[in-house]
Amino acid sequence: MMFNSNRVRTTEKIENQFNIVRTILAIAIALGIAFLLIMTVSETPLADFWTLLSGPLENRNSMITIISKAIPLLFTAIAISLVYSAGQFNIGAEGAFFAGSVAATAVAILPNIPTIIYIPLSLLAGAVVGAIVMGIPAVLYTRYNSVTIVTSLMMNYVALYAGLYVILNPLRDQAAGFEGSYAFQATAKLPSVFTNRLHIGLFIAILVVMFAYFLLNKTTFGYRILAVGNNPKFANYSGIKVNKNIILVTLLAGLIAGLGGSVEVLGNYNRFMYTDFTNHGWDGMMISVLCRNNPKYIIVGALFIAYLQTSADTLNFTSSIPPEVINVVQAIIIIFVAANEFLKRWEHKKIVENSQKSLAIGEIN
Amino acid sequence: MFEYILTADFIFSVIRLSTPILFAAMAAVIGAKADVLCIAYEAMMLLAALGGVIGSAYSQNLIVGMLVGIASGLLIAGIFAYFVLYLDTTPLLAGLALNIFGAGLTVYIVFLLTGRKLDTSVLPSLKFPDVHLPLIEDIPFIGDVISGHNILSYFAILTVFLVYYFIFKTKLGLQIRAAGENPEAATSAGIDVKRTKLIALLISGVIASFGGLFLSMSQMPYFTTNMTAGRGFIGIAAQNLSGGSPIGTTIATLVFGATMSVGNIAQTFRLPSQFASMAPYLMTIIGTVVVGMKARRDEKKIKHL
Repeated sequence: MMFNSNRVRTTEKIENQFNIVRTILAIAIALGIAFLLIMTVSETPLADFWTLLSGPLENRNSMITIISKAIPLLFTAIAISLVYSAGQFNIGAEGAFFAGSVAATAVAILPNIPTIIYIPLSLLAGAVVGAIVMGIPAVLYTRYNSVTIVTSLMMNYVALYAGLYVILNPLRDQAAGFEGSYAFQATAKLPSVFTNRLHIGLFIAILVVMFAYFLLNKTTFGYRILAVGNNPKFANYSGIKVNKNIILVTLLAGLIAGLGGSVEVLGNYNRFMYTDFTNHGWDGMMISVLCRNNPKYIIVGALFIAYLQTSADTLNFTSSIPPEVINVVQAIIIIFVAANEFLKRWEHKKIVENSQKSLAIGEIN
Repeated sequence: MFEYILTADFIFSVIRLSTPILFAAMAAVIGAKADVLCIAYEAMMLLAALGGVIGSAYSQNLIVGMLVGIASGLLIAGIFAYFVLYLDTTPLLAGLALNIFGAGLTVYIVFLLTGRKLDTSVLPSLKFPDVHLPLIEDIPFIGDVISGHNILSYFAILTVFLVYYFIFKTKLGLQIRAAGENPEAATSAGIDVKRTKLIALLISGVIASFGGLFLSMSQMPYFTTNMTAGRGFIGIAAQNLSGGSPIGTTIATLVFGATMSVGNIAQTFRLPSQFASMAPYLMTIIGTVVVGMKARRDEKKIKHL
């Protein structure tokens, strides 16, 4: 009996080890392909590749950039990991982030609101709009069984164009000389922390990550979400209201994604200036996949993607290599990490060997 | 505004705008019949669009351009199929990754060839010809609507019938449907399910590639980055709305094309351009609701029986 439980634990250990090996190998393959791509453009491929790997480590400024870039990614990654945990392929975080930032802008430029409630009200507006954008596909799924991926994708575009309309018409500052909103009220901007390039969004993001971890692992609601995600039929038989929980978790995810958009614009900009998708939603999805929807790892994942993006920017600055090379790297990493059968045979062999070994020990005793 | 909609020009533009979506939608029909949730059509179209431009620019031969374009689209379809079918990757994630991959790689290649990242207008790429149908051309109204389209628009319409015939009348089509609907039964009937799905995905890759070729070698005279702009997704939505029948999917596609066209006209009436851009996406969501409501009503009727 004792050996049995021992064996189970080591099998799990091997599986975990292989998950790490898979991730590292995926990153290695992706970087290998990046090197090949760099060779086609660059005359000094080795030096440029080195910049891609280590560029951001060379100065303190880039370290701050990495953290600053990771903040919005934490929101979208958590949002996606929540809906994915419930088995919902809702990719509306992109639209929720964008629309959320527009809603926050709309509040942050209003004159004559009492100073103290500027920030809470702006953030709230962004979060609520984000929840609406992500929530609609969930309602359509539960009511009409429509395919969530398709509707949430379409919602992204609707949110994008609706947001752009609001920014470029009622909220547009004609005096700005470019396509942007009126400037935010000074009191609506998020206060800086540590340096003037970081803001309290950092703490909000960390709180959101902790909240999501707690919610998924320590609460009945979290248990229900995971049950619905694992097997909706079984969850239904065991008395969990599947549709209600799907809608609730999606609304929560939308709140978080919208909050992320609000934090990003109020923390880093003086006015709204996006003219297209910001890609935070897609990047968040990637992080969520890398971390297997587990909030525990999402901080590391977000820092990793932010690192890659920062080094791509550095590379763009010091050489002629387009930063899009990093999209290729990211895509290759995801597709390998998401490939369940990648290295599976090797893993099985290890597990079998290990089981045989412990069985043999058991027989001797 | 309505006098603008009931014109030959309007219907002509609906057909033109629907062409790339129709290719994507037909690709999605075959993918859905094989029961593979593929969202990588966007990437297939994008790579095919660029491949066609590069192939035709360097060879100055339209057929070579077309083949290079199809090969580029097939590359994405092949990678998708390999990862999904043989490495057990979640199809959604594989599709997502490939879309990001395609968007990044095309920008990279455009930069590599032209030194700029926006478009390939400096490359002397070729265009597919427009076709003026003799006799029909001279019929008032009908001639203006039907004649003068790009050769690929006619091919798109032909593709609808080819796909219909392929799925419902050929052995391979039957095998694809069997592999999609009931893989266990298909296996026991001696069908290699994975291989059948692979073939289905490659065929849909070829069809989607034509959508890409239309974008960069007809609708526009060159490749611009991210020129697919979600058309692959709208194609999936059209397939989804009609439950996968080729004819129903075509109707849904034409509705989207008409929405785009109305949006373009509305823009000339100083309706903000964002509403025109939003129209097809909003239409998709509305369409989903309408179809969903009808399905619910039917369900209730069945229960009453």
